[in-house]
Amino acid sequence: MNSKELIALLKNWQVALLVILLIASAFLIYPHFDDGEPATNIKYGLDLSDGTWLQMEFQSEVVGFQTDRPVSDFLADIQKNLDAEIYQVDQNKLEIRTFYTREQLETAFTESGGTLTSYEQGVSKETAEQVKKILEDKLNALGTKDAKVNPLTGLNGISHYVRVELAGISLSEAKEIVGKQGRFEIRMHTTGNATEHVLYGDAINTVGVPTQSVEGKTWGIPFTFTEQGATEFRAAAIQYGATTDPSQHYLDMLLDGNVVYSAPLAPSLAANLQAGPVRELSASTGSGDEGLADAKNLEIHLRAGALPVEVKVAGSGYVPAALSDYFKTMAMVAFIVATIAVGIVIYLRYREPAIVLPMIAINLSEIVILLGIAAAIEQQLDLAAIAGLIAVLGTGIDQLVIITDEILHEGRVPSPNIYQKRLTRAVGIIMVSAATVIIAMLPLALMDLSTLRGFAIITILGVLIGVLITRPAYGKIIMAILSK
Amino acid sequence: MGFIKYDVNRYTPKQMVVIPLVLLVLSLAVLGYNMTTTGMPITPGMDFSGGTAVTLFTSESPESLSASFSGYPLISIGEGVNNGKYIKFGPMDDDSLQSLATLINERYPDAKIDQIGASFGETLQNQAAIALVLSFIGMAIVVFLAFRAFVPAGAVVLSAFADIVMTAAVMAVIGIELTLPTTAALLMLIGYSVDSDILLTMRVLKRQGKLDEKLSGAFHTGIIMTTTTLAAVAAMWAVTYFGNVPVIPEISAVLFIGLLIDMMNTWLTNAGIIKWYMLGRGAK
Repeated sequence: MNSKELIALLKNWQVALLVILLIASAFLIYPHFDDGEPATNIKYGLDLSDGTWLQMEFQSEVVGFQTDRPVSDFLADIQKNLDAEIYQVDQNKLEIRTFYTREQLETAFTESGGTLTSYEQGVSKETAEQVKKILEDKLNALGTKDAKVNPLTGLNGISHYVRVELAGISLSEAKEIVGKQGRFEIRMHTTGNATEHVLYGDAINTVGVPTQSVEGKTWGIPFTFTEQGATEFRAAAIQYGATTDPSQHYLDMLLDGNVVYSAPLAPSLAANLQAGPVRELSASTGSGDEGLADAKNLEIHLRAGALPVEVKVAGSGYVPAALSDYFKTMAMVAFIVATIAVGIVIYLRYREPAIVLPMIAINLSEIVILLGIAAAIEQQLDLAAIAGLIAVLGTGIDQLVIITDEILHEGRVPSPNIYQKRLTRAVGIIMVSAATVIIAMLPLALMDLSTLRGFAIITILGVLIGVLITRPAYGKIIMAILSK
Repeated sequence: MGFIKYDVNRYTPKQMVVIPLVLLVLSLAVLGYNMTTTGMPITPGMDFSGGTAVTLFTSESPESLSASFSGYPLISIGEGVNNGKYIKFGPMDDDSLQSLATLINERYPDAKIDQIGASFGETLQNQAAIALVLSFIGMAIVVFLAFRAFVPAGAVVLSAFADIVMTAAVMAVIGIELTLPTTAALLMLIGYSVDSDILLTMRVLKRQGKLDEKLSGAFHTGIIMTTTTLAAVAAMWAVTYFGNVPVIPEISAVLFIGLLIDMMNTWLTNAGIIKWYMLGRGAK
């Protein structure tokens, strides 16, 4: 093909688009050397990069309820009945932060004068976000590089699981980190800036959710002391004089040695403490959105890194660096061997390099663009996704065969007019079969079946790239070649 | 391709559909039998039944490994090439798992560990079943919308159904477990198995010309299509199977079996039905 014909070919928008996308993909994949090691921008899933994943199930449920009684009375009864922390998600949904079966809850709701209208294990969106934040804070505090925390949220907004991925950390280490709590301490100002230890985190019995006080509209976190904790707290407050002169004896809350909250005792609390131990307290954080945000943070700190909802490990896995590197190499080898195998079959069929080479080239460009897009949207490649990639290679060739055979029908190269008709028909066949693949993969891409999501997304992307970009371009290229 | 001697025009529609029909009934019988005896049509793998799998490379004998792990619910120790060992454990609680993970990390720092809890496995299994059903329904809707004629569309859907059922039966017989990767392969089969059927139906319904010529033309193209995919899948299987790579061999084995079965279902079941349909409408 001379340069004139090449330029004419490039003027086809399909061909031009293909070339542009190929160049863009090369930049997106960005092959380069990192400390002398070849590297790219492609993100690998956990089975191709060393690390641990933990999938944890929330021991909690989100339920719908109905009652003829005043809601607050009903909630108080339920709380007493179940002895669980309850968070009201919205007008008719509750999050019960202890695991109960549907039957147990139905009985409890009926006893408290209401009915259970729905039941699903998991937590509300707000709680899931909070869990994500707590885990991220904890992992960042430990200097864990590249930690990912993702609550797996269903279409109804309820998260049943949270998935944690930690690069370069073994399974046993990961479990320890996730389960580990920070050290929480309460200290009291004595004279000036000097402080004395009062209590540790074990003296705190329960921690509530942000609540707004009725009179002042200020936000705060209610929490309770254990019986012993309350006695010790009272003794300290009296000893240091906080009950008589609260404004001179601020109370500090520290997490791992950092002050996270500091405020004086409220006058009413000081008076109550003088009279006897107080178990139920509230730490107020101010009003408005800022007060609420501070309250949320304080809640996390009060829990000292413990999650508001208990979690149970549902699944976990670890891939060591040596193995993940080996898998990556083997996946590459499998890909190359598959390309060669496809090339041989195509050659046996057409025995014409002018057809076979463009086919393979188009096929590979499909993969390059696919990898480029995967790098751009940060879609991780795992072993299943690579199997999807190789299958895209195999079936992509199928579609090119359909186009070639449709055009070569009756062994003659047709006039441009007939050619266009035939290409349209071939594209029709391809469109229908592409639609079936996309539809078949859609449930997997939308549901969260751990590793299979990557597989489905890669397959769907591969089909889309093929149908929209590479195969139409192939139609033009093969026409230019055959008409010679 | 010289090695395929089948002539799509030689047999009557009845002769064509009889073999796949018998095989379909047999396959349904195999799956039904498994369903009544074990509760699952195909043996579920660890992904669905729960448990822990450890992949490691060691020259230690299975006996010495089983002694090392005697304190845990050991199920089996499999051996692969290059000293690869696959150790499977039944479900255990969080504390045992933690101690097992610590033990493995100390002795075999290069071991791969995968663990799925029993209830999580059940959730995955239910979701996988829903995904399979939704995929199939979605595929059927696309096919009916594309052809808008009951018999041709029905023939495509029937042969896709036969593909999945027969592939599942072969999996059950030769002992490929139903796992997340093999489920993915079955789903992919739903999408891909219909592409040769679509080619056949499109060519026969929409092209001008004699039925015989259209059938053999479609066959010619269809066979080369499926062979290229088979070649890619077989290469992928060979490299990853002998290279001890997990996940990919299972996916490619199921795809390979499924594509072979699809050849039969496309060129016997689907071709038989469409031939009968066209002959009934007076085609020559």
